[in-house]
Amino acid sequence: MTRRVKRTVALTLAAASTGCSGEQSALAPTGVEALAIDPLFWTATWVGVLVTLMVVVLVSIALYGPVSWRARLGSDWIVIGGGIVLPIVVLTVLFLYALFIMQANAVRSQEAGDEAVTIVGKRWWWEMTYTTADGEKVLSANELRLPVGRPVRLRLESDNVIHSFWAPQLAGKLDMIPGRTNEVVVEATEAGISRGQCAEYCGGAHALMAFYVVAMPPAEYDAWLAREAEPAQRPKTGQQARGHDVFMQNGCGGCHQVRGTAAQGLIGPDLTHVGSRHSLAAGMLTNDPEAFARWITDNQHIKPENLMPPFRQLSEEELSSLAVYLDSLE
Amino acid sequence: MPRPRALVYGVIVAVLGGLILGTGFVLSGLYNVAASVQHFDITNAVIRMTLRRSVATRSIGIEPPDNLSDEALARLGARHFALGCAPCHASPGAAQNPVAAEMYPAPPPLSHAVEDWQTSELFWIVKHGLKFTGMPSWPALERDEEIWALVAFLERLPDMSAEQYAAMTGRETEQNDGSGFDFDLNANDETVTAFCANCHGDTDAAPVHPLAPPLEGQKQDYLHRALVEYAEERRPSGIMEPIAAELDSAAIDELARHYAELSERPAAERDDVDPDSIRRGGLIALSGVRDDDIPACVSCHSTESSGQFPRLAGLSAEYIATQLRLFRNGVRDQSTYAQIMAPIARRLSDQQLEDVAAFFASRSEENGGTSPSEQEP
Repeated sequence: MTRRVKRTVALTLAAASTGCSGEQSALAPTGVEALAIDPLFWTATWVGVLVTLMVVVLVSIALYGPVSWRARLGSDWIVIGGGIVLPIVVLTVLFLYALFIMQANAVRSQEAGDEAVTIVGKRWWWEMTYTTADGEKVLSANELRLPVGRPVRLRLESDNVIHSFWAPQLAGKLDMIPGRTNEVVVEATEAGISRGQCAEYCGGAHALMAFYVVAMPPAEYDAWLAREAEPAQRPKTGQQARGHDVFMQNGCGGCHQVRGTAAQGLIGPDLTHVGSRHSLAAGMLTNDPEAFARWITDNQHIKPENLMPPFRQLSEEELSSLAVYLDSLE
Repeated sequence: MPRPRALVYGVIVAVLGGLILGTGFVLSGLYNVAASVQHFDITNAVIRMTLRRSVATRSIGIEPPDNLSDEALARLGARHFALGCAPCHASPGAAQNPVAAEMYPAPPPLSHAVEDWQTSELFWIVKHGLKFTGMPSWPALERDEEIWALVAFLERLPDMSAEQYAAMTGRETEQNDGSGFDFDLNANDETVTAFCANCHGDTDAAPVHPLAPPLEGQKQDYLHRALVEYAEERRPSGIMEPIAAELDSAAIDELARHYAELSERPAAERDDVDPDSIRRGGLIALSGVRDDDIPACVSCHSTESSGQFPRLAGLSAEYIATQLRLFRNGVRDQSTYAQIMAPIARRLSDQQLEDVAAFFASRSEENGGTSPSEQEP
């Protein structure tokens, strides 16, 4: 093997292996729905492997085997049995098994309670609306928090183009179609962080539209949701206060909401608790002041054609104060 | 009949000979490029025919706007004519400058331009200029509405008396209408502000045309930035670029401060505005349109926001709509601030654009203002 081929193989293997164990792998299910699909996947895969092996063996015999075996393979019953009966039986069994799993998931979603999160696909981010026990709507974005062991109904919508919601460790894909609401019930089985991704081409920045799923113990989740429902915390330091003023004076509130302040915009993501999220820009950046500053000035390079204009007019001092303020909104 | 081969040789010799003679003529310097020596009549006729045919063909498809006969538009054009055209072309108020008269070709008097050229041809010449004549192209090719203002004036120029001309240019009190762009804008405050007032109006007079915005009460930082962007050719305008380029930085500081301190002119009473348009514009300006990703205008354009975001209340609907179109068409997208406005302007439909312009034109900070805390109208 040449070095180039070796390198390609090594890279492919590395990519494949991270795909199996990584935070966005469909092969490491941590949700009831994904766990139900998992055996179906492996059954179908192994049946496919067995059929392939059988065909390879039979073809080898037909080409190179002893004359008597070749004569036997040439008989009519091989064609009828292997070409008609066997596929019908195998595919019917697999089909019934899939129907059974689909039915089980459908029953589960009918029996699930009222706990729901509305997720609206945007260009190119996710608007998440939670509902507290008191029925209060809580607007957030780009991060799906779930209580472990409690089924949650995800209402999937879009107000622009078709997106597809896919959190591989939780469940299969489901399209977000303008003008209708698709529902999927998910239930996380263990606490932890996984990643999801838009799975339907939705424009230039489609590949840059991701999100994190944070599954938390139920008590922690309830505490988090109560905190998420509260207005933003007031600036604590001088620099944060300065950043708050920069935010208000430069019109950020025209598009972004920070509950508890004059910023009431609903066009871009709600920033009330943006500092506590796992990532910025729908899974594109780490959440720290440097990333905020980069996004504010350079967002058209980070996520080309996204709807936010670049704000390059800010001085270094204004920009760093603004970034520190946003980072403090936990 | 000569043999074919001899014919070929003959042609080659003729072409080579012609090339050598031509090159020799050019390199020898025998041709006289002096402006003091006239072309042969035949040369002149060929050049003029080429020019006429070129202008006629190139101006096909240019449609004059509906408001071309508007006198206010002609007044706006007259102001530019006095600064940018009269110095070479002469005017009803002043004979042609002897220096300009010795250009070759001499800039023609424009009093009969309307008879010589069709309106679309005049527009084309003012916009693109003419090669090898000294006639420059418009400094901002993207600003057709400015060029039409000048054409509107040219249409009225024939038979204009010196008095009528002085009234058109707003220079009844001055004698220097032939001085062109070398006016001394940095002399003292009164000279400068009187000069600005000639188009933009002042506390006593409204702007000469809705396309020239009133400056009183505008934010200081914005005024300063606007002048700097014009001077550095980052905000295209054939009228404002040469004027701003004449100002030194002290004069720009002073002008921005001066106008920001004055109180806003009361909005002009208009009876031709659709109240429904104002109401719709108010909804967009104060609340935005979430479905179209249009934020509320007042989230930036208010007295409480950064001084770099201009106050819009009290500007004319024509000015606001024109600027929004410039943002939308990518003409005004070079400064960091324009890069914020341009993508938002592109989200406005034609109707929304007109409505928003009508709304801000109907407002002033006194009659309720446009602060974000205000409720829907």
